[in-house]
Amino acid sequence: MLWAASLRHLLRHPAQLALALIGLSLGVATIIAVDIATASSQRAFELSMDAVNGSATHQIVGGPEGIDERLYVELRTHPVASGSGAPLELTPIVEGYVTVGSSAMADREMQLVGVDPLAGLGVATSPADLGRWAGHQNRIGALRKWLTERGSVVMAAGTARQLGLETGSRFRVGVGGVDYPAVLIGQIAQESAAYDALLLTDIAQAQEWLGRVGRLSRIDVRMPKGPEGEAELALLRQRLPPGVGLHEAQGRTRESLDMTGAFTTNLKAMSLLALLVSTLLIYGAVSFAVVQRRRVIGILRALGATRAEVLLIVLAEAAVLGVVGAGLGLGLGLLIGRELIVLVSRTINDLYFVVAVSEAVLPVSSVVKALLGGFGTALAAALLPALEVAGSAPQLSLRRSVLEARAVNLARRLIVVSAVLAAGAGIVVMVSTRSLFAGFAALFMLLLSVAAITPAVLRGLARAAAHFVGRASPIARLAFGDIAASLSRTGVAVAALGMAVAAMIGVSIMVESFRESLRDWLGHTMRADVYVTAPGPGADRPERRIEPGVMQALLAIPGIASHSESRQVEVESPSGPLAMSALRLTRVGYSALQLAAGDAARAWPAFERGAVIVSEPLAWRLQLGLGKELTLSTASGLRRFPIAGIYREYGNDRGNVLISLEQYRRYWHDDQVTAMGLYLAPGVEAATVIAGLRTAAHGRQALLIRSNADIRAISMSIFERTFVITRVLYWLAAGVAAVGLISSLLAWELERSHEIAIVRSIGLTPVGAGLLIEAQTGFMGLVALVAAIPAGLLTAVVLTDVINRRAFGWRIDLHLTVAQFTNALLLALVAALAAGVYPAWRTARASIAGDIREE
Amino acid sequence: MLILKQLCRSFHEGGRVHRVLDHADARIEKGAAVAVVGRSGSGKSTLLNVISGIDQADDGTVEYDGRDITALLEPARTLFRRQHVGFVYQFFNLIPTLDVEENVRLALELNGVRGAEARRRSAALLGEVGLGDRLHSAVDQLSGGEQQRVAIARALVHEPALVLADEPTGNLDEETARQVFPVLVSLTRERGATLLMVTHDSALAGSLDRVLELRDGRLKPVGG
Repeated sequence: MLWAASLRHLLRHPAQLALALIGLSLGVATIIAVDIATASSQRAFELSMDAVNGSATHQIVGGPEGIDERLYVELRTHPVASGSGAPLELTPIVEGYVTVGSSAMADREMQLVGVDPLAGLGVATSPADLGRWAGHQNRIGALRKWLTERGSVVMAAGTARQLGLETGSRFRVGVGGVDYPAVLIGQIAQESAAYDALLLTDIAQAQEWLGRVGRLSRIDVRMPKGPEGEAELALLRQRLPPGVGLHEAQGRTRESLDMTGAFTTNLKAMSLLALLVSTLLIYGAVSFAVVQRRRVIGILRALGATRAEVLLIVLAEAAVLGVVGAGLGLGLGLLIGRELIVLVSRTINDLYFVVAVSEAVLPVSSVVKALLGGFGTALAAALLPALEVAGSAPQLSLRRSVLEARAVNLARRLIVVSAVLAAGAGIVVMVSTRSLFAGFAALFMLLLSVAAITPAVLRGLARAAAHFVGRASPIARLAFGDIAASLSRTGVAVAALGMAVAAMIGVSIMVESFRESLRDWLGHTMRADVYVTAPGPGADRPERRIEPGVMQALLAIPGIASHSESRQVEVESPSGPLAMSALRLTRVGYSALQLAAGDAARAWPAFERGAVIVSEPLAWRLQLGLGKELTLSTASGLRRFPIAGIYREYGNDRGNVLISLEQYRRYWHDDQVTAMGLYLAPGVEAATVIAGLRTAAHGRQALLIRSNADIRAISMSIFERTFVITRVLYWLAAGVAAVGLISSLLAWELERSHEIAIVRSIGLTPVGAGLLIEAQTGFMGLVALVAAIPAGLLTAVVLTDVINRRAFGWRIDLHLTVAQFTNALLLALVAALAAGVYPAWRTARASIAGDIREE
Repeated sequence: MLILKQLCRSFHEGGRVHRVLDHADARIEKGAAVAVVGRSGSGKSTLLNVISGIDQADDGTVEYDGRDITALLEPARTLFRRQHVGFVYQFFNLIPTLDVEENVRLALELNGVRGAEARRRSAALLGEVGLGDRLHSAVDQLSGGEQQRVAIARALVHEPALVLADEPTGNLDEETARQVFPVLVSLTRERGATLLMVTHDSALAGSLDRVLELRDGRLKPVGG
């Protein structure tokens, strides 16, 4: 009977039940969606790496120019064997990023992998595989086609379908702006997404396309298990020439995934914000459901229901709510997650590596997390009110004033809690100097401190408004007085909204500050009038190079006064691969680079002599400083380079090393150029020169030729794209807050229906009643804003100076604009007013007679 | 003159139709004080709600001074009630977040009387009901009798032509009821308003000008 009473209560308030479920499921869904998006991208990358690496345990890796293929021949003809064990198995690989396209389809970035079918250890390209993919029964026939037909490639059947290609289709493969004809000779019909981003070709073909004739990207090694294997590895290491290293294959994959670590941590923190907001709202919804039934519970207690029984009922209800909410959140998260995958993988492609995500991965841990999160949140939210109501004497009706008095006392105590949390956040930031986790902990403490102080601020301001405005009008007094007098209802809702608004102010100030810092940095750094770059995916890929002949032709165009050259590559170091820019700068170019540490007068001469200048993110990540040295793997082995300066850079969150082009060529034996900056003679129009450059390159190499303004605009658009996800997550958190606000207002309206009915009975019109509710919700929105502004500013400081610094090493100047606050004002007001519409409509339509009778 | 013609109102309770007003008729002269008696659940409160426009009749009309209240739409009914009706309830129905004077002034403000004038009139009437020294007390600090006097002041402050009282002494002890009831009747009479009072107390009912009994959905005069 007790359970029936409980169930019927829930079913009699479907709107309340639905809103509590929506709030909880949105919070859970956000976490699930982020998990799906990040896990799917990582899984796609891992699968693709596994497909390329196969069963390789180690990789032999060289510098930007790769490895001389003669090393492979040498190792095959004179195998490394410890005597007792089998020799090490080796597979040569040539890989690079290319663009695949045809007149019938949009360009798509893919990873070209050149393999030797006869040495297949990594990618499964045995003659049998080739035969199967090409639909040939005859292995030899397929192999002949692979080896002899120019431009032969295979790709995943799913990818081919997306690109509109069939076996036998001809299309083009773009490498650094140069197009090559290709033909699809087979399709990999595998359900796994491992091959989705891969384009397989013969190793010799890949060498030709990527401009690496005679060179290998790496040699995959499979080490036999046991001590013999270890011994063979030691022998192999001894036989490697200088500049060539041996690394664990799993470690290389991990290093690549680690690149996205800070990015995914930020996403997860944003999703946690949504759950935090929903926790508050669930607390509001559950505690209201308990308070609403205090009379019924009192009757049950008077009839003999024990405290334990009452406690059990309330907690069981919350548990059911939690499980159902989590279940719904799981489904909703899957839907949102599929959309988020597009945004996340686009950002990863923009910033880190090429990945094609074709299937959504939902880790089991995420499901468990969602269920526990939803269940735990609802249970924790219910515990306090459940203990309170179960512990009360079995009286028929706990007076409302007693409840509100408790809420007021709690609000007062929460002021202290808020101060402690804010101080705690400051202490955590000061004590932990590098920990990103501590940074996020401080951020959440700050947001919770906003939530904790909001009820007291709301009560204070509502009382003040009731006092001053109420002098003139009892209706105004009624409106504001009710807010202050119903703190148990209004406090939690406004706290949740305040937290969401504080987060919005913080995030928008951070994004705006970042945008302005980037704009300022681009303004300083991008000094050339025209930039010419070899196109293609991956910023540091060696295959991106301007053909020497084309470069000569371009520089012969009239109007070019001077030019800078750069080579962007990835070099090995004991700390893993590092992005390097080798520069030959003009005099203007030197002044363009802003040094955050180091004296320009000394740094640049040292730079010319062979010192390096590192970017702020790299200096932060590897804890580098002036006077220290950076060890890099050169063509002649490891070499220590003195650090002459640290420069500001926002282009690469993993950091960058600057070295002079002459020194680079000297140590890495690579004379390619990735990009050029052209400085025009006075009076020469950039558009005229660009037209000339395009004509000169036409038919030879499809270079990216852009004016200074264009390149800045492109950089800014990539920046905007990167923050789309942040905005999506932020709006989800705001959505949760708005739903919670509606839920709380409905609950509040239900409680006040009698009071409103009295005022209606003495002449307040339905529109007047609706306006009364809207005035109250608008006021609550404003209070949320008042509480959120200082906290939002502090949040912005933590986000820019702590989180961004610790995650990426960037130093961002705080940039405040009026728009950040007006947007927050709009959000607070719109959310509050929108949340008030339905309760206002219900109030206006409510039956006065019925509500008055319900005393 | 208040004229009720063939007034019908029924409620659906589960699958059953409960007809509380069944072609009820009555004519109440201006300035008269009339009691309505009847058993619990006979529809007395519904009758007051329909007359005030809080509830709507299924059929029939309520005319006040030649104006058909039942023909008005909701906003117009609210305006009618605001200007012409004062309501006194059994459970006082004061607004707990407003003080004594504000509860009374609220009715004036809804009628567009604001500022000093509204304060003066509220304070004056509260003085008449004996609460001149409790103007700014919180309503939940008052006794039941005091709360009902505040409710009477609120019902009369805007000088309505029709005062509807639904068991105004039903929540008071006998002695307090004997103190509050004359206040309601005398203040209503002084203002020339019509009083329609629902009560179970036959003694109080008998002290008014007329008594109507609501039985089987119809109004019948009691005692001649």
